[in-house]
Amino acid sequence: MSVELQHPMKAQSTPDEIARGRFVSGMRSLILNDLAADMGTAYQNRAAPAFRKVHGRDPETSREAHEALRGDPAFNIYSAMRVQAQKMVWASVADSVEREAERLAEEARKAEGPGSLTLDPALEVPKNVHAIDVHLMPGSYTRGGDGLEAGAVYDRGLAVFSMGLMGANLDDIGLSMSRYVQQRFPDFAPSRILDTGCTIGHNTLPWKQAYPEAQVIAIDAAPGPLTYASARAKMQGQDVHFQQMCADDLAFEDQSFDVVWSSMFLHELSKKSRAKCLDEAYRVLRPGGLMIHMELPPNEQMGAFEGFYLDWDSYYNNEPYYKGYRDEIPRELCTCAGFAEENFFEFVVPSIGIYGEQAVSDAAKGDRAEGVGQQTTGRLAEGVMWYGFGAFKK
Amino acid sequence: MSEQLRPEDAPPSLYDEHGNPRFFADPAMDRFVAVVMNLAQEVWVQEERLLALEEAKSGEALDRDAKAKEFINRVFAPIRGA
Repeated sequence: MSVELQHPMKAQSTPDEIARGRFVSGMRSLILNDLAADMGTAYQNRAAPAFRKVHGRDPETSREAHEALRGDPAFNIYSAMRVQAQKMVWASVADSVEREAERLAEEARKAEGPGSLTLDPALEVPKNVHAIDVHLMPGSYTRGGDGLEAGAVYDRGLAVFSMGLMGANLDDIGLSMSRYVQQRFPDFAPSRILDTGCTIGHNTLPWKQAYPEAQVIAIDAAPGPLTYASARAKMQGQDVHFQQMCADDLAFEDQSFDVVWSSMFLHELSKKSRAKCLDEAYRVLRPGGLMIHMELPPNEQMGAFEGFYLDWDSYYNNEPYYKGYRDEIPRELCTCAGFAEENFFEFVVPSIGIYGEQAVSDAAKGDRAEGVGQQTTGRLAEGVMWYGFGAFKK
Repeated sequence: MSEQLRPEDAPPSLYDEHGNPRFFADPAMDRFVAVVMNLAQEVWVQEERLLALEEAKSGEALDRDAKAKEFINRVFAPIRGA
């Protein structure tokens, strides 16, 4: 249920802080598994029938499922408790980060591994990164400026938030996805990989592990998490270059990468910025290169309730672009950016930490779209599976 | 520093005057839920202190994750099946 980070930047927490974190992870598990199931039952037994009585049909969209559920006791309890649990995630790690600020800075200074960091003080950090407390994280990604604070809060908070489902290094998404690509495209041998919107680089490192000969570059608009990411990667002996840059305005030459990757990034962008990011990905990819994104599954492939279950974050978890992203169609996003429709693909990867390597291998060789609409896809709960999409540039 | 960016189709009635999500008819209930969860967390902190004493006495490590799950299930049982 709880997880302890496994690198020198991990918290040296007091017993009380560990207990608080364990409690929050346990609460999230109750909410995201048990109370979510209760809300699903309430939807079937009360909310949807009440909607049907008024409209003469079932809710057909995420928005209508939301309308049907508002005011239902199960929805109220689930939602109020989930909001509070989210606030408690960040609160449970804030004290240790503040207390350990000097030790963290010292650990980062003495990190001697490979890799490098380039910040750009002239870069205007976009509004979606600094002006809202994204997923209710106080100070968002720019908390503490270009210091280590935002990265440390995010790293430690994610360990509590993920309930162990992202692994001890919080890299299950990157591990599952990179392993899937290796298995599905065994002849694909990228020499230059770009991670866009990398935050603390937790899902960047698996790509270096999967393709150790490749040069791996990871970018983000927020300087603090990048500073932290660089130290975190060095401590793990990973040769990654971190660079402050916006994904919708890449300072790289045309056709200079073999992979452009992101994880849980596109849904934090406005529609306009998202489209520019994909345009830029297409521009910097070499012919034969692969754009691949791990993201939330699209609403078009889910039922009304399942769609709203994911869209909940948009209304109540300070994720204003979440639903707008999920209402878009990945295939169209790719073709609008220049990728040929026949080169588009989408897939579901079982979490490698939960299901094991063989399951990832089986998924890479099997029915790749299976499971997009399953309850476990894209939900951080027991049995989670990751949704991804992408396209080769031919 | 936090602005209130919302999805375009989010009616203002979803939020209170400070922009916080509102779920219950009586806004005090939203705050009360937070108080109950904070209180349960502090009780659990005390529980872990007792577990540490038990572990020291018996010399055996207890499965604290499992204990926490039992505790949470017990405390929040009344809200299940709402």
